[in-house]
Amino acid sequence: MKLTRRRFLQNAGITAAALATWKIPKGVLASPVPAATMASGLPGSLGAQEVTSVCEMCFWRCLLTGKIKNGRLVKLEGNPKSPANGTKLCARGNAGIKLLYDPDRLKYPMKRVGTRGEGKWQRITWDEALDTTAENLNRIKKEHGMESLALFYHGASAKFIEPFWHHIGNPNRTEPAFFQCRGSRDIGYLLTFGDSPGSPERMDMEKTRLMVFLGTHLGENIHVSHVMHYIEGLCNGAKLVVVDPRFSASAAKADKWLAIRPGTDTALLLAWINYIIQHGLYDKEFVAKYTTGFKKLKDSVKDCTLDWAAGLTDIPAGQIKETAELMGKLAPHVVIHCGRFVAWYGNDTQRSRALAILAAILGTYGVEGGMYLKSKPPRPKASLFQSDEEESDLEPISDKWPFPPPGTPSEGLIEATLTGKPYPIKSWVIWGTNTIQTIPASHRTIEALKKLDFVLAVDQIPNDQTLFADIILPQCTYLERYDTVYVWKDVKVPYLSVRQPMVKPLYESRDPYWITKQLAERLGYSDCFPYKDAKEYAEKKLESVDLSLEKLNKEGGVVTFQGRPYFTRENPPEFDTSDGKVQLYSEEMEDEDLDPIPRFEPTPAPPKGYVRLLSGRTPVHTFTRTRNNVWLNAEQSENDLWLNDKVAKKLGIKNGEEVCMENQRGVKTRPIKVKVTPGIRWDCVYIVHGYGQLSRHLTQAYHKGVSDGLTFAKNTLDPVTGANAMRVNFVRLIKDGKVLEMPELGPLPSGIPRFQM
Amino acid sequence: MTQYAMVIDLNRCVGCHACAIACKAEWGVPAEYHRSWLRRLGPAMTPDGMSYTYFPGLCNHCDDPVCVPVCEADPEEKVFTDPKTGKTMTMEVRATYKHPFTGAVLIDHDRCIGCEMCVDACPYGARYMDYTLDEPKADKCTFCMERVEHGEVPACVKTCLAGARIFGDLHDKKSEVYDLVHNKGAIRLTSSEVVIGPNVYYIGNPRDLHLLKETCTPHKMNAGRTSRRAMLAGLHRRGGNLLAGAGLFGAVAGLVDLTSSDSNSEDKSF
Repeated sequence: MKLTRRRFLQNAGITAAALATWKIPKGVLASPVPAATMASGLPGSLGAQEVTSVCEMCFWRCLLTGKIKNGRLVKLEGNPKSPANGTKLCARGNAGIKLLYDPDRLKYPMKRVGTRGEGKWQRITWDEALDTTAENLNRIKKEHGMESLALFYHGASAKFIEPFWHHIGNPNRTEPAFFQCRGSRDIGYLLTFGDSPGSPERMDMEKTRLMVFLGTHLGENIHVSHVMHYIEGLCNGAKLVVVDPRFSASAAKADKWLAIRPGTDTALLLAWINYIIQHGLYDKEFVAKYTTGFKKLKDSVKDCTLDWAAGLTDIPAGQIKETAELMGKLAPHVVIHCGRFVAWYGNDTQRSRALAILAAILGTYGVEGGMYLKSKPPRPKASLFQSDEEESDLEPISDKWPFPPPGTPSEGLIEATLTGKPYPIKSWVIWGTNTIQTIPASHRTIEALKKLDFVLAVDQIPNDQTLFADIILPQCTYLERYDTVYVWKDVKVPYLSVRQPMVKPLYESRDPYWITKQLAERLGYSDCFPYKDAKEYAEKKLESVDLSLEKLNKEGGVVTFQGRPYFTRENPPEFDTSDGKVQLYSEEMEDEDLDPIPRFEPTPAPPKGYVRLLSGRTPVHTFTRTRNNVWLNAEQSENDLWLNDKVAKKLGIKNGEEVCMENQRGVKTRPIKVKVTPGIRWDCVYIVHGYGQLSRHLTQAYHKGVSDGLTFAKNTLDPVTGANAMRVNFVRLIKDGKVLEMPELGPLPSGIPRFQM
Repeated sequence: MTQYAMVIDLNRCVGCHACAIACKAEWGVPAEYHRSWLRRLGPAMTPDGMSYTYFPGLCNHCDDPVCVPVCEADPEEKVFTDPKTGKTMTMEVRATYKHPFTGAVLIDHDRCIGCEMCVDACPYGARYMDYTLDEPKADKCTFCMERVEHGEVPACVKTCLAGARIFGDLHDKKSEVYDLVHNKGAIRLTSSEVVIGPNVYYIGNPRDLHLLKETCTPHKMNAGRTSRRAMLAGLHRRGGNLLAGAGLFGAVAGLVDLTSSDSNSEDKSF
């Protein structure tokens, strides 16, 4: 194995110097420091014991250094040896200690004593909790078959239960946050390039000359290394074009903001593609050598003119032309960003295909300042299972869709639970995911949860879904456990690190490896999880790449490898597709009776008197799961409702006033403060996702802000992947008990139908 | 002599709040207070176009800090050391003072009587009373002097993923902050009513700076508002030299406003 010389970031040197010269000059420092932070004699986090690990406040997994004083974790910082985040962490990463020390944490195994949803629990022992769970799952399996059990999971904590579910031959497993975020996007890119755009997305923003964001909200989405590259790119002079119905944090830094009519993004993309082809602005060599179906693409988009797109998108034709020319001029050093949290209108795979095709014809793939290549670092291996995977003759529910991402679309499992078709599902195991808030049409999710025979929830804090569980198992946080060995390959300098505990698990919480192993044994799979504990598992994985925890810790918690980010003579383009070329025209899609080249399919416009409800991210929260963190909650405890200033004036609503939303099914929200701004179109309103938690055991988060998830009544699925759409619901406002009809400030083009109530 | 200063680059800042949280973690700041904060501004129209930006704020460690002379604690002699040269000097100060060698405005928590005068005096709202303590005391940003003395950068600077916070000695002509302030047009949030020499500066595009200045510049000195606690403390201390230390740092600009402003004046302007 080849280890490159590690890159030390700037601040590493400073830390080392500081360590060498610790002393307090008399009379200068003694007084300004609150006594509470002086535990070790040195103020703040200075002089603390350090442990390196991997963050899990979001899925980006920055490398950490934990600072421990007197056995208490006092601070988290970025690991200065990280080639990705260096000493930097986002707000959430910095606030990790308030998840660890959250007084609302699940402390003991519990069983439900009230009705489902009531959240009345009684403390029980681990043995009783595990035995009860196993008895129920075994009984239901015996009565209704393996297919009657389903797993809803998310994040690192499910890295043992998910493969176990797979191992025992159960196809009923879903990661809702993946489906509702980037599932369709990944499939769109896979069908085009033979690979997903990765996570981290392989966008070479620091080296680019132009970034085009359509579905990217950097600044609201904070993924540390990604944002670092974005800012470096901008400071190096890159141009930025942002397509968004809303003046987002990214739009605020853009050279061009294209305030697009919601639901018409594919029309814009097709017009760009057409213009670029018609005017010879595409990369002719790349297209000729490495793509298939160019002529069909050219024919297919020939009617997608600037004027056609301008009418649909509400973006002036001149702006569409100008931005297309900019792309042509600066190609191939152009990042056509693939986006994230892009499950929008139910046609998201095709829109992602259009993005991928645009990136391809501009010749940006594998080029500096375009889309860099995946690296191939060593893969640590250690099997969790001693026997072969169990064969299953079940027809997975996911077969209903032609190209589902790994697992089963969440909706498929909910539908089966409610209807018993294609087979009844009687029990859910919910592992670290808020099924109520994450999946649209939560009234159906709740109905399904109430109908189940048995529900298990494994989590760290009493999130909404735990209210509906029969047994609740307290899992320790990422700061109290070993997990696995992580290898980053979607980065230019690949690296490896490991999660390790900074403090012992608090209360009776246990790590996911232990919990899964205990359950597996009780379910009759005692040959699974052969290691004593997660630490031994991590050691075995490290051993397979000639490393150990000791060696890794000596290296500062990270080892880097050689990357190959760009195509070279030695590293020529390779595409893992049917003919080894980029699929501008997809025969695989044609075989499934899907459009082989993306076509504009209108998304129904709001009914009269309504506007579209959009939702997005805040940089201080991850999904729905950080709202109870006392520091993050203090930064932004509630969301507000973005309302166009002209609309507000017509309705007589002033900035800061409270309104309620009512969706097209008549479901009303609790009051929410209005943010009156010119930074959003008149035909939509916007709130940040993830607020308005239902669990009163979350003392910080309970009923703070308004939930978008609970307001999404309509369920539209992407026909390619089965993923839910998040932008297909409509609302009107209620002020002082009076329903307000939302005014229309522009005409609806004839090509776009209205949603029928 | 050093004057530590910070320049915040709004072109880089993405409003992620990491600065605010890293500060809380470093100094154990209670959840409800901030030594370092971030406010989101806009989207709003400005004469230079639409802006959606941020106000990352902290104590300005002003040249003429109005929070210092209003301190009601008894003055005491204190020995100050220059961290660079080791040189010392003795000065009579109250619980809050401007450090003669670093320019940082600091609070001696052991001596703070919790009168809240300094909290009220700061036109930037940079101080807070920590009511989570049995004996509430004033607190605020220290420019992480404790870390700086140990060769570290301030916690907010270290975590800033956008590289938007530049910290250094404004009196050092070779420093980046000097260059940004003297050659790159960094601005400070001052108005004709509030001219006390803040040492936190901002750079950004015209529209963002416009929105920042318009919404976050203080226009009123706040000393007219006194807390009951301060009045009680003051009853025992009348005749004490209210202006202790003022001579050392030159006349306190805005002092006229400070002493003459209407006691019924409104609360802070932001």
